[in-house]
This record gives sequence, C-alpha cells and structure tokens, in this order.
Amino acid sequence: MPQILQIAAIAAATFGTGAATLTVMNEDIPDLAVPEGDWTASGALDGISFSVSGTDLSSGAELEDEIIFREGTFQSVDCEQYCNFGWSDYFTKEIDGVIHFTATALCPDAPHTVVWYGTLEGDELALDLTWTTRRWYWTNQIQIRGAGVAIPPEAVSS
Amino acid sequence: MKPHGLSLRGLIIKTGILIGFIVLATWGVHMIRDALDLQIRPDNEQQVHKAIMVGAVAYVVLLALPFVPGAEIGIALLAGFGAAIAPLVYVCTVAAMMLAFTVGRFLPIGALERVLWALRLRRAANLVARAAPLSKDERVAMLLAGQSKWVVRLALQYRYVAIAVAMNTPGNSIIGGGGGIMILAGLSGIFTPTSTFLTVIIAVSPVPLAVIFLGLQF
Repeated sequence: MPQILQIAAIAAATFGTGAATLTVMNEDIPDLAVPEGDWTASGALDGISFSVSGTDLSSGAELEDEIIFREGTFQSVDCEQYCNFGWSDYFTKEIDGVIHFTATALCPDAPHTVVWYGTLEGDELALDLTWTTRRWYWTNQIQIRGAGVAIPPEAVSS
Repeated sequence: MKPHGLSLRGLIIKTGILIGFIVLATWGVHMIRDALDLQIRPDNEQQVHKAIMVGAVAYVVLLALPFVPGAEIGIALLAGFGAAIAPLVYVCTVAAMMLAFTVGRFLPIGALERVLWALRLRRAANLVARAAPLSKDERVAMLLAGQSKWVVRLALQYRYVAIAVAMNTPGNSIIGGGGGIMILAGLSGIFTPTSTFLTVIIAVSPVPLAVIFLGLQF
C-alpha cells in the first residue's frame, strides 16, 4: 500500500475510533424536566417583567437578572449578554390560581439550551432553569434556582 | 563486601518517601485546582471551550514529541475539569501516540542510525544498520538471534505487551516518553499499524478509565 494511503488509513482509524469513543463516553445531561400538562401559548404574562435573584446550585454563585414577557415571547436580559437568544415562545398553564410558565431558549451561535420553568403566585415568582451546553466532547450544565418580583416595564434595564 | 540488595530499613525509607511524594503531589493538584477556581459559567464558557481546544491540540503535538513531558497537560485538564473531560483526553492521547508512530514509520531508518551515531551509541547504530535492509520478520529474527537475556527475548516476542508496559511506566520520559517510544516503534518496522493501534487503545486507557469510574476525589 502506498505511504500516503497508509497514513490516511491510520488517520481515518484514529479519528473514526475517537469520534465513536466520544459518542459513547460523552454522557448527555438532560435539560430541566418541566412538568407535563396542558401548556398553551396564552400570552398570560404579556406585559409583565420581573427582577430575579438566583443561585447557581453547583458553585453557589449569586446571579441577578431581569426577565421580560411580551407578545407571547420571553427574554432574559442577562442571558442576552452571553448569547443572542432573542425572544423565545413561552407557554403557560394555570392551576389553583397559580400561573406556571415554561420557555426554551436556543442560542443560534453556540450549543446552549436554556430551559425555564417558573410559577407566579400573586406578585411572587419562583423559578428553576438549566443552562446546558452540549459540545462535541462533553456536556456541561448549570442549574439555577431563583425568585423574583414584578417590576414596571420601564424599570427594565435593557 | 557490602551486599547491593536493599535492606528492610532502606525499603521502608524509600516507601515512605514515595508515599510522601504522592501525598504532596495530591495536595499540590488540590491547591492548583482551588487556585484556578475553574467554574464554568455562561459568561466564560466560550473562553473555557477555546482554552480546552488549544490545550487539546497542544497536548497531541507535545505528547507526540520525544522527551517532551506533554502528559502534564492531560493531567492538568483532568485535574481542572474532572471526569467530564476524560474522554477527550483519552482520544487525544491515542491520537498523539498514533501520530508519533506514523511519523516514525515513515522516517527513513537511516535517520535513526545517524542519531545513534551522533549519540556515540555505536553498537546500537551498527545494529540498526544491519537491520535496515531486512524485512519485518527478518528483523525480529535477527534481534532474537543470539539473545541470551530472557527479558529481551520475552520483550521482543511479546513486543506489543512490552510497548504497552513501556508507555505506562512512570519515568519513561528518560527514554523518550510516550512520543519517543512510539516514534522508535514506528522506526523499528517490527510493529504493524493495526496491532499497534489496538495496543495503544488499550494501553492508554487506565488513567481516563480510572477517572471516569472512580472520579477525582478532591
């Protein structure tokens, strides 16, 4: 076999096996498990904004954010700083006067998926989210738990 | 005349020094990890990703070079990012070993002879000169012929096991490290690419597998 073909064969075997190994060994971390239910795009939270304080459950780091609901879509001001997520559709359901919402934001420039799930009781918001980054060699996830209070739209910093 | 064998006291002292070294090394890694404070957050994930990519390429290239202690980069990646990075380190290690083997395989064996002459290793240089024109099987037969030392015969007969052991032997950097060993294996012409590849896949697996299954207990 010519030398160039031998080199190509060794390279193909190495990269092929490497890709297969990473596929098998790279354990996926599922996104936040959002409770099932009758989720609808009701726009029930349109026009409301919240100031949110959260904690990274792994590192304990404190995070401040503002989230905005408008025209059936949702945006996190803080997340926009790291990736141009844009406006994501959000869905709601109401149980015993408590509004539940969920939204999934996908980063168009990097493999980030952020899944939000929160409940609004009166003016008080409680929420959980996972920021999952699925690179070809690993999956990393940040879990955040937070709470928020409604703020007037003109108070939003964006 | 004083015997050369290691006394019980000497053995205890050396074992104590070794344990002390391991404890200090573990403590050192712990300190480095704390100092780096590697937390992956949304605001630094892109930088961490770029650093890992640069580190992985540097790791492959440096590990493939003889006498260059590239393994430290792999250990630093494992220490910094834990078990999650082990698959990447494993794949990069295999790639580095195969890169070194491929380079060695396609280097002219005359280059090895000249290096040995330059190092004044005349017997080894003569041996290479005699082996150069022979086929793979003839080289093995020539190397085995006249070998009275059972260790050498055993290493040649089970050369794939021997190279796996050599790759995993602590302190192998004094004989060229993993990259140097694989370049020489390629140059020798007595290792086939397929069998070498299978050997490397198994030989470099202990550390990443240990990290995956046992984790890094910091």
